[in-house]
Amino acid sequence: MIGERPLGLVLLEMILLVLLGPLVTGIIQKIKARLQCRQGAGVVQPYRDLTKLLRKGTVQADTASAFFRFIPVLVLAATVAAGALVPVIRAGPPAVPLGDALLLLGLLALARFLTAIGALDAGGAFGGMGASREMTIAPLVEPVLMMVVFSTAIAAGTTELGALAAHHGTSSIVAWRAADFLGLAAMLLLLPAETGRIPVDNPDTHLELTMLHEGMLLEHSGPGLGCMVLASHMRQIVTLGLVAALFFPAGPADAAGAADLLLGAGVFAAKILVLATYLALVESSYAKLRLFRVPQYLGVGFVCALTALALRIL
Amino acid sequence: MVHTIIDDLGALLLFTMILIVAAGQIYRAIYAVAAQSLLIAIAGGVLARATGNVDLWVIAGVTLVVKATLLPWVLHWVVKRMNVRREVEPVIPVAATLALAVVIVVVSFQLSASLGPVRQAITGNALPVGITLTLTGVLVMATRKTALTQMVGLFASENGIFFTAMAVTRGMPLIIEIGVILDVILAALVMTIMVLRVRSTVDADIADLDRLKG
Amino acid sequence: MAETLLWVLPLVPTVTALLMVTTRDRRILSALDVGGSTVLLALTLVLAREVAAGGPRALGFLRVDDLGIVFLLLLVVLTLAVSIYTVGWIKQALEVGNMKAEFLWSYFALVHAFVATMVVTVLADNLGVLWIAMEGTTITSAVLVGYHGHHHGLEAAWKYIIVTTIGISFGLFGTVLVYAAAAAAGVQGSAGALSWSAIMQVAPTLDPGIVRIGFIFVMVGYGTKAGLAPMHLWLPDAHSQAPTPVSALLSGVLIKCALLGIIRFQTIAAAACGPAFPAQVLLVFGLTSVVVATPFILAQHDIKRLLGYHSVEHVGIVALGLGFGGPVGTYGALLHVVNHGITKALAFFAAGNAIARYGSRDMRTIRGMLTVAPIGATLLVLAALSLAGVPPFSIFVSELTVLRAGIGHGHWVTIAIFLVMVVIIFAGLLHHVGAMVFGEPTAAATREPEAWSPLFGMMLLAAIMLLLGLTIPASFDGLLRRAAAIIGD
Repeated sequence: MIGERPLGLVLLEMILLVLLGPLVTGIIQKIKARLQCRQGAGVVQPYRDLTKLLRKGTVQADTASAFFRFIPVLVLAATVAAGALVPVIRAGPPAVPLGDALLLLGLLALARFLTAIGALDAGGAFGGMGASREMTIAPLVEPVLMMVVFSTAIAAGTTELGALAAHHGTSSIVAWRAADFLGLAAMLLLLPAETGRIPVDNPDTHLELTMLHEGMLLEHSGPGLGCMVLASHMRQIVTLGLVAALFFPAGPADAAGAADLLLGAGVFAAKILVLATYLALVESSYAKLRLFRVPQYLGVGFVCALTALALRIL
Repeated sequence: MVHTIIDDLGALLLFTMILIVAAGQIYRAIYAVAAQSLLIAIAGGVLARATGNVDLWVIAGVTLVVKATLLPWVLHWVVKRMNVRREVEPVIPVAATLALAVVIVVVSFQLSASLGPVRQAITGNALPVGITLTLTGVLVMATRKTALTQMVGLFASENGIFFTAMAVTRGMPLIIEIGVILDVILAALVMTIMVLRVRSTVDADIADLDRLKG
Repeated sequence: MAETLLWVLPLVPTVTALLMVTTRDRRILSALDVGGSTVLLALTLVLAREVAAGGPRALGFLRVDDLGIVFLLLLVVLTLAVSIYTVGWIKQALEVGNMKAEFLWSYFALVHAFVATMVVTVLADNLGVLWIAMEGTTITSAVLVGYHGHHHGLEAAWKYIIVTTIGISFGLFGTVLVYAAAAAAGVQGSAGALSWSAIMQVAPTLDPGIVRIGFIFVMVGYGTKAGLAPMHLWLPDAHSQAPTPVSALLSGVLIKCALLGIIRFQTIAAAACGPAFPAQVLLVFGLTSVVVATPFILAQHDIKRLLGYHSVEHVGIVALGLGFGGPVGTYGALLHVVNHGITKALAFFAAGNAIARYGSRDMRTIRGMLTVAPIGATLLVLAALSLAGVPPFSIFVSELTVLRAGIGHGHWVTIAIFLVMVVIIFAGLLHHVGAMVFGEPTAAATREPEAWSPLFGMMLLAAIMLLLGLTIPASFDGLLRRAAAIIGD
């Protein structure tokens, strides 16, 4: 039986996620570059970008309100808090009840909402357009994520991620029920939508027609922009951690010894690496969908999640 | 043990079914139905191993060769050769078809849950998955305008029936299953010939002809 | 003796089909055609006498009882009539250019292969073999429907093969479900659980839930093949675009074979779930067919399409008869199967004659047939009168029997709707045919004398039609009673 995680471990995991988030983005960029037969920037380039942004000054639009200054901090706070809910090194519920998977999804939704508010606040055309597009995608993505969580949670009897991972135990694929296949399929289909990657959104572009997420960041600058970029890195690694906790819970250590902690961290890193490679491959293989085709694409994920839920209940 | 494997295969079959319904291009639908037939062949092999029924090995092998390889290859060849339109044209929007597919899943699971004792005669999830596949195959045939997609829907429907038939605890007699496969091959051949016949004379898809009315 | 006949019977048309491949001469092909059909008829009569004397016979997965004999007799009589009709029809088709001389053998071979698959359908005891043979009929007849090769024919053939293949996939699913029920009830051997006779013996012990669902699947499935509404959409197209002799076989026999499939499952369902359930289902489909077909009959211009919709209506009447149940209802339904088959074939032949003479299918362009082709026109009028249900022709008798059964069981609403529809169709049909037959012939009519062989085939059928309308011979009556008893059991 896997015991609880002490609060110190939870805080450690959270800081680990913050530190590793940009690295994951860097890895994905590197893989994409290699697949395109070029060298690409280094894996640590996102860190360099972040430090550069922190050094720069802030420019704010005249039309933006006073609240606009707080948006980046709030968004970063929401995503970092979501990071605290993901079991990284060890499975098992935290010693102090912090919140479950629904809270995690809610925090991510809050971050999305605040980003959109900020984009609308400045009154620019790009911001408004990006915000409206993002909000078109959001109502399709979030319910599906919740349905996938529910379908996995029904078997475990709890939605708390740590307890979920503990319930799945150390056995890996063989313990999957039939519904898990469909749930994983739905998650994999939705991963590019949640992390803002092709085929839903292009993270590398700043062309008007192809932006969803990037469009909302245009009005921010300096440290504010740094916070927003770090928040998007966090969102990515938190979502990948969610997938790992729901579907690949093997590996987190039992005991609290240093060696076990390192092993647990290593296993987590391996899982994230696999998922990151998946994202990179999908980005390199497909073209971005036109906006009105995205609901159709997400609809397939929706049907998969619904069928997974149906298989569990019926 | 066999139960869980059949359940897993059933879930994968449902996934391929969703892919067929949501396919926007004919190639994707063909690959999905080929994958589906492959899964059926694997299910046949698993059941053969579990029940010791030699007939099921033969059926699994024939399904693998014919429905997972030969027929999709023929469809693929027709698409390439005849320069058929690659997009699948739905009669109702794809979202509506997906919604209907979900309804079918729920209905068939409810239906088989209410069947009680004879449910024991069929291993695992095979009955509801079989009903779902059959009905969704018919849905695809009814809501698509391309002739080749209609044929894909037909193959998917037959897959569903085969899955249920294989999972019936004592297995269907070999001669029947061979006969069914032969019939499917013949029907597919006849349909392919018709498609080619119309396409070679008029640049239209046979399923598009609608001069007979009333 | 009877057992060997069981496997010889499907072999005869198969061998005939194979022999057709060897020659190109039209006369030899026609001779083989008529010869094969006559042999088939003779053997069937022998088998019928054996069964009447000694009860059902079985051999492997083939079995014949009185019910099967009824359908078999219809099949072989119509095959012979079609063969005789084809002798003259082929000559005319070759002249007009509808058929190519060097491919004639393929047409004849396909027709006999089609007949062979239908024979197996009727004789099958194994429900799986029944399905395979049914699919075989679909494939062979789909090629025949599209035989002429022009677009209307191909469109009809495509719709036919797609819709009926979906349909009988449902039928296969229903068969699998019934098989699962039988296997669970402990029928010995896997082949045994598919055998109709074996299932009938344990039928009361089958799980009613699964049999119910299985029967509904079978009803939808084989009902598609039989032309019951709302699955009938392929029928007017296919039956009108096919070559005329093929139309006669399709409307006359094939949809009846599908009905036999339904009847087999109906008996199982009646034993397992009680007779009320299948009767209810049959009534619903039957009434829907009759109601749906009527407006289309009135609004038709194409004569063969008209006859196609008529088949939908009459299949509905048979379903109604089976649904009303009881000895009277079932007897009426079986009698209607035979009567409608013969009359519809006659009607198609007469229509084919008219189309050949006037060069068009549109009824508005056919006028004054009585002047140019008196015998053909008379036969057309007789067929139309019979189809409309006028005494003293055979359909009147069977419709009356079905009506009596309905009244006897108290289905007042159904009877009322049925009567209204029949009256409307009566009026419509007579209006159409009267306009075609009387009046001044249009210029398009060819004035050549009527070919003797089509007329001979038609008169043969008309004679049977009249005979059955005036009186039912004792041996035939006994056969029908015994067959009805099998269903009613």
